[in-house]
Amino acid sequence: MDQERKNKILPYLMLMPAMAIMAIVVIYPIFSCIATSFTQEEAGGFGLENYLYFLADPMQLTNIGYTLAIVLVTVVLAVGIAYLLSIYLRFSNSRVSRWIGKLYLLPRFIPGLVAVNGMITIISNSGLLNRLSRLFGADWQLGLIYDAKGIILMNLWFNIPFATMLMGAAMSAINNSEIEAAKDVGAGKLRIFWKIILPLTYRDIFISATFVFMSNISSFTTPYLMGGNYPTMMGVTMYNLYGNQHFGRSAALSVIMFILSALSAVMYIYVNMRKDQWEKN
Amino acid sequence: MTEQTAQNANVKLRISNMTKRYSNGDGVSDIDLDVREGEIVTLLGPSGCGKSTILRTIGGFIGVDKGEILIDGKPVQNLPPEKRPTAMVFQSYNLWPHMTIFDNLAFGLQIKKVPKKEIAARIDKMLHLVHMEGHEKKYPTQLSGGQQQRIAIARALLLEPSVLLLDEPFSALDAKIRAQMREELKRIQQALKITVVFVTHDQEEAMALSDRIVVMNKGVIEQIGGPTEIYDCPKTRYVASFIGEMNFLPGANGTEIAVRPEDVWLDDAMEPEMSAVIRTIMPLGHYTKVGLEMGEHFLRAYVPKTDAAGLRVNDSVALTFHKKYVYNQNGGLQQ
Ligand SMILES: Nc1ncnc2c1ncn2[C@@H]1O[C@H](COP(=O)(O)OP(=O)(O)OP(=O)(O)O)[C@@H](O)[C@H]1O
Ligand SMILES: [Mg+2]
Repeated sequence: MDQERKNKILPYLMLMPAMAIMAIVVIYPIFSCIATSFTQEEAGGFGLENYLYFLADPMQLTNIGYTLAIVLVTVVLAVGIAYLLSIYLRFSNSRVSRWIGKLYLLPRFIPGLVAVNGMITIISNSGLLNRLSRLFGADWQLGLIYDAKGIILMNLWFNIPFATMLMGAAMSAINNSEIEAAKDVGAGKLRIFWKIILPLTYRDIFISATFVFMSNISSFTTPYLMGGNYPTMMGVTMYNLYGNQHFGRSAALSVIMFILSALSAVMYIYVNMRKDQWEKN
Repeated sequence: MTEQTAQNANVKLRISNMTKRYSNGDGVSDIDLDVREGEIVTLLGPSGCGKSTILRTIGGFIGVDKGEILIDGKPVQNLPPEKRPTAMVFQSYNLWPHMTIFDNLAFGLQIKKVPKKEIAARIDKMLHLVHMEGHEKKYPTQLSGGQQQRIAIARALLLEPSVLLLDEPFSALDAKIRAQMREELKRIQQALKITVVFVTHDQEEAMALSDRIVVMNKGVIEQIGGPTEIYDCPKTRYVASFIGEMNFLPGANGTEIAVRPEDVWLDDAMEPEMSAVIRTIMPLGHYTKVGLEMGEHFLRAYVPKTDAAGLRVNDSVALTFHKKYVYNQNGGLQQ
């Protein structure tokens, strides 16, 4: 075998173990899950029963709507705040901005479970904030816990640093001289934002949004620990169905989740592939 | 006296007693500089000596700690860049990549609310001046580096600045294009009679382009003068070593003697003041570079081609210094 052919085959050989593991732990379960989702629990055989259950049951529709609402609010708030934060970090030289720049990723390093429990001890109805308020004679009942607001708050804790990191990379791709040249020709701050910064970074807003969407649509820990009994987010719904031996239905719900993620993945690919006129050579 | 008043009358830019130090202590101190109307003045010095710092204080991108900057007699040191009658061209990334060339040029004029028709007409004229007609619809990445810098210069000129500031605008270009752009800039400058402050670390560029050169060293100005003056009469040892080639020899009482290679003359005087041995001979076209060993010192001499014909390695030759400079211990010119 000559060197050249060897060089061609070698990479594939080296990828084989990884591919085999992928096939066993990812691809096989996906297909098995899809198969299970069509296995009817009541009528037996294959059919759409499990899917129709979610489309017909008002409580399940509420759960799906509840999930989408929480995720969309999370996306808008997390990406919006992170965008402003990344602009601040990129263009401010103040001491505060340098400190935030060093610390903003910290939440990523705190294990999720620890963070959620920490948040609960602060915001729950007899938590730290409540006790502090009682020192001053008030009795704040924030009502954040076992409610969508608590879940969203927690989601922001996890997702703002992540989105800031993604969009920070886009911000640092803007050269100082591009901003200074705009100032030089007379542009004020707002105009620099609308005409220079936003056009150069809007794509990263969409990309961050899809990432935040995908990682939150299937979230479990936060809604399980902080959510109420009803409605529940899809991750928790699925857990409950599975616990009640509704394997077909929980599989169908995973497929639904997968489709929702796939929709946002399509947006991701579209935005990422789309070249603006100015990027074509 | 009358001459001086006349000169003062057309001072376009005056920097007086200006100091700017960054928080880490780097920066420039006690800068005094007058730039006259229609003049090209170059700030020249090694990397990190503070050239960009001065230019950026003129353009308003950084503030000053002390001193004044006057343009057309008005203090501007407290104004932001958009309020100053200056326009800046940077080393690179001048243009906004997501805008066409036309939009890049129009941006500033639109902000100034110039009517659409006039914008188009002015851009047309300016593209003609920088020889870039027909590129309006392209995007910056579709232009070469040299073309991008032409557009950047055009954009700056469209603002009709009192003073045009250029911070090493050609240093990212290759040598041939750089020389060409230099001539272009000179041509445009003369056509518009605009006042220019140009930053470079390339002395050839400074010599070729400037009416006057400001030689800088570690945040202070060492000497200001025309190219010939700087070359023929370097006021400090630093300028002598930085501009052109120079031989240095120890003199009496801690002084140093400096001689340009072209001022080291080889001859065969019978009783020479100084003599040396030829170590290397390097013909370089119209002149020959001769390496000489004199006692424990080495010297370079540039000898006209015809005179070099008879020279051989290891020959002993007599030297005369046609012109020399003596610098005292502090680096100041003594004679
Ligand atoms: N924003 C800044 N903060 C702190 N120090 C700075 C800053 N900008 C420049 N300096 C320092 O000030 C000194 C002068 O910098 P400046 O950019 O003016 O040099 P320069 O002569 O333009 O050099 P070059 O030829 O490399 O561009 C340098 O030592 C540099 O490290
Ligand atoms: Mg510089």
